[in-house]
Amino acid sequence: MEKLNTLPDTKKGPSVPAIPSVERRMFLRNLGLASASALAVLTSCAKEDLAVPQGGLRRSGARVGATVLPDGSIDLGDGDIGITNMAYALEQLEVAYYTMAYDRSAGWSEMDRRVIRELRDHELVHRELLKALLGPYAIPELEFNFSTVDFNNRNAVFDAAQKFETVGTGAYNGSSKFVQDLELLKLAGKIVSIEARHATLARHMIQPESRFAVAHELIDNGGLDVAYFPDEVLMKAQPFIKQKLSGSKLPAPIM
Amino acid sequence: MNLFNIFSDIEKIDPEAEARFAFTRRKMLKTTSIAAAASPIFVASVINKAYADNGDIVSVLNFALLLEYLEADFYEKGLMSGLPFGNKRALFEEIGKHEKEHVDFLKASIAWVGGQAIGKPEFDFTAGGMFPNPFSNFDVFLTLSQAFEDLGVRAYKGQAPKLFSHRDVLLGALRIHSTEARHAAEIRLVRGLRVWASEQETGGAPAAVYKGENNIHHHDAVDLISLTYNKLLEMAGGDQTPAERIVRESFDEPLTREEVLAIAGPFVRTAMP
Repeated sequence: MEKLNTLPDTKKGPSVPAIPSVERRMFLRNLGLASASALAVLTSCAKEDLAVPQGGLRRSGARVGATVLPDGSIDLGDGDIGITNMAYALEQLEVAYYTMAYDRSAGWSEMDRRVIRELRDHELVHRELLKALLGPYAIPELEFNFSTVDFNNRNAVFDAAQKFETVGTGAYNGSSKFVQDLELLKLAGKIVSIEARHATLARHMIQPESRFAVAHELIDNGGLDVAYFPDEVLMKAQPFIKQKLSGSKLPAPIM
Repeated sequence: MNLFNIFSDIEKIDPEAEARFAFTRRKMLKTTSIAAAASPIFVASVINKAYADNGDIVSVLNFALLLEYLEADFYEKGLMSGLPFGNKRALFEEIGKHEKEHVDFLKASIAWVGGQAIGKPEFDFTAGGMFPNPFSNFDVFLTLSQAFEDLGVRAYKGQAPKLFSHRDVLLGALRIHSTEARHAAEIRLVRGLRVWASEQETGGAPAAVYKGENNIHHHDAVDLISLTYNKLLEMAGGDQTPAERIVRESFDEPLTREEVLAIAGPFVRTAMP
């Protein structure tokens, strides 16, 4: 929890050397965000308290990044930043989960361990990319609670894995309804099918070459995979996240 | 019938297409399926014109419908054949059921947006002899199954941006997309391949199905290997980490409609008007 009010990077120095600032600016510009100079202001402010300064930057309705609310909960932000932060939270969750599972898998078969490690490595790549794209708008590093998972039971570990991957799949699918930036949509498309492949691999580890492996009980009678809107995503993920996430500014379908 | 319906639809929209297609149609009518398949580039170029990318949502959905017809027909024929599915039968029945559902869903979607769905073409799953015995040799069947599913994933991924203006249709297409990814993953596992698509491991499918899958730059050419190498190394306890492989396997890549049709074209029997 100690990192709640600081950017996770401040201790380790900049974590995104591979991304020239101009590229991040392009991303931000795509989101309808700040000019380069405004970005500099934002960055320095964000390092203080994650809060986007009030006033000037909001004059054109610019969207805001993550903020820590008075009750200590983390607001994901709105618009594409909020959606990206939601995805970033899920990728953090998956990395943390697989890291824990791997650490506790000493007695497992070589194959089981390799699968967990590969899943973890992919999610790490997703996490780092989203973090880099969000830059100063990213939520902090989250802490997790996986105490409901029986890590001594490999089937339970793979079952929780397929559930997390399904939340990821549904989250990317559902967010397609709201994403404003076409580049972000394209990126989500490249990631979502990997999440679906992961879910399948985790299911395969439990019941290979079966209807279960292709999620027969989840796919609806249009042959459609799951899609979760942001509120559902947060509801499904929150029990595993120690910090309270707030998605109050995330887009939702108009009923 | 079938593809030629699309031709006339396109002609209605684009008067100039009439002249272009008059020639190709005459030529196509004389072409047997085997000869057509023997020159896939020709077939593709004809089909490409039929699906001319005019930003029309209906043409995107009909393109998807063509692929779903292909998959649904493939599994139906496979399951009716004497192929030794053994305990894999339930898996392939489930996949085949999904593909039929996709056909129905797309037809309904096309009607919903006020379009006209293409009819079901006839298919030649030997692709003019390239895959001689898909319904009597289980390995060939599995190879094609993998190729169609991985191709489907890439096809939907490539079309998604074109549906950006119609979010309900986009959502439906993406929900099919991840279903196809689940199919592709399981079939790759059945075949003993890695779950993630790459140019290195085609499993006997046409190389074009995997062209460009090794891309490691995403979103404004962010260099993900540099970005993640140290972390991967650290997490691997200092082992040499195959960062390049991890990065490329972490993303699936789109294909354009033209690229997909160049691959699928030889399986479409286009001789009958």
